[in-house]
Amino acid sequence: MAGAEGFVESDNAEAIITRIEHKTRKIESLLKQFKPVEALKTALEGTYAMTSDERCKSAHWIVVHRAIMAIKDVDGMLSSLDPEYYDILMKYLYRGLATGDRPTCDQCLRIHEKLTERAGHGCILRFLTDTKLKPISSEDLLNGRNFQMG
Amino acid sequence: MAVIAVHQFAQCITCHAWSPDQSMVAFCPNNNEVHIYRLVEDKWEKVHVLEKHDQVISGIDWSARSNRIVTASHDRNSYVWNLEGSEWVPTLVILRLNRAALCVQWSPKENKFAVGSGAKTVCICYYEQENNWWVSKLIRKRHDSSVTSVSWHPNNILLATTSTDGKCRVFSTFIKGVDAKDSKKGTSSDLKFGELIVQLDLSSSWTFGVKWSPSGNTLAYVGHNSMIYFVDDVGPSPLAQNVVFRDLPLRDVLFVSEKTVIGVGFDCNPMVFAADERGVWGFIRYLGERKTVSSGSTYGSQFSEAFGKFYGQSKHGVSNDAVETSKTRGAVHDNCINSIIPLGQHGILTRRFSTSGLDGRIVLWDLENEQDLLEL
Repeated sequence: MAGAEGFVESDNAEAIITRIEHKTRKIESLLKQFKPVEALKTALEGTYAMTSDERCKSAHWIVVHRAIMAIKDVDGMLSSLDPEYYDILMKYLYRGLATGDRPTCDQCLRIHEKLTERAGHGCILRFLTDTKLKPISSEDLLNGRNFQMG
Repeated sequence: MAVIAVHQFAQCITCHAWSPDQSMVAFCPNNNEVHIYRLVEDKWEKVHVLEKHDQVISGIDWSARSNRIVTASHDRNSYVWNLEGSEWVPTLVILRLNRAALCVQWSPKENKFAVGSGAKTVCICYYEQENNWWVSKLIRKRHDSSVTSVSWHPNNILLATTSTDGKCRVFSTFIKGVDAKDSKKGTSSDLKFGELIVQLDLSSSWTFGVKWSPSGNTLAYVGHNSMIYFVDDVGPSPLAQNVVFRDLPLRDVLFVSEKTVIGVGFDCNPMVFAADERGVWGFIRYLGERKTVSSGSTYGSQFSEAFGKFYGQSKHGVSNDAVETSKTRGAVHDNCINSIIPLGQHGILTRRFSTSGLDGRIVLWDLENEQDLLEL
């Protein structure tokens, strides 16, 4: 099971933002080459270094969202995705569902169904009970999305 | 099949315990009584009803050598029952709790027992000969929330606890006059009552079901996030492993050998975990038969309908699943299993054990025919 890299202090936020920008460029180029699965893997990598800094969380989300929306073949993507990323992907799917935006929700729901088949209910439970690593920012929660978060 | 027998005793069972010779079983049928049944010529007969508690009994333990039953209840009390003639005579133990007692276990030497409570404390009770009563010493510090389960180390002094604050802790319960000081083991600081030896913060969710391996070298406990934690070399530098698994969370575990653990929980089917040659723990397989798979999904009837609504289409919909009753599902328990107890001699190897659940069943299991597991 992938170990959590732990929290990164806010004064390293700039370093994270830079890394995310670098990631974004890499993902854009992968998407241009029609490699959405690689793009998603790149997007999910390193997101375990969760920070409490809101900007980093949002930046991470934007990157992952871009990659999620580009996925056409969900089954194929999940077959080649390392099982250690299932839990992180599940967290981002719920983040997507919380946005309320129709295309995002449709895509996230589609992936959620397949991911649950693969990873089981345990995956959902690990998302629900995880108090430490939550990619959702407080604004989304405070804005009263119709979505219960633990 | 690993199942020897399935007995339906009540609508719901909270906890159970076996007599030393396994001829009688005591359980709480989700009320304030303890029912004791004896197997008489293939039929179970109710031989005793222990009525003293005011609320549901959350823990029962039956000591193997001294033949005493200890019960712990939500009414904040604990009773020690002694068999005098043909009657069970209760002795109240004043735990000094202001919240429910949640779990209880006799120590290996049976001269102490530990009670975990919702008051964020653990009571260690021992018998005072002079006054002919049980005294309770409290471990008040350290827990931030209810203590859900307790487990004694084979040395009769160390106690592991799990709590809804997500942590597993190991305490020393050394009591002067009750425990003999062993000059070989530990320094004097380890032997202070209530001393926290190790605190394991591996889970972000409630933890349950802690157990020591037969040698006392390894700890196993479960989290409510569908994970099971194994800790080797419990001490100053423990080696922890988090094992993630697919399905619903577990509630209790049992070491059947030093390297094999059986976990039971909300999946109603015991799960086998084992450590390989390198000492890496992993999920092996389910013990009972799995629920029948249908229409491409592995969920039972309720989940199919719920997921159908969630995905907004009748893909899973009102399929054959909806009319499937528990009988056709193949699982022996059809509700959460919340307790697993070894049968027979408490030794290095346990072949037989029993499980009880919220469905009111007590099921006896034997690993005799599970060749692949015995070779682990």
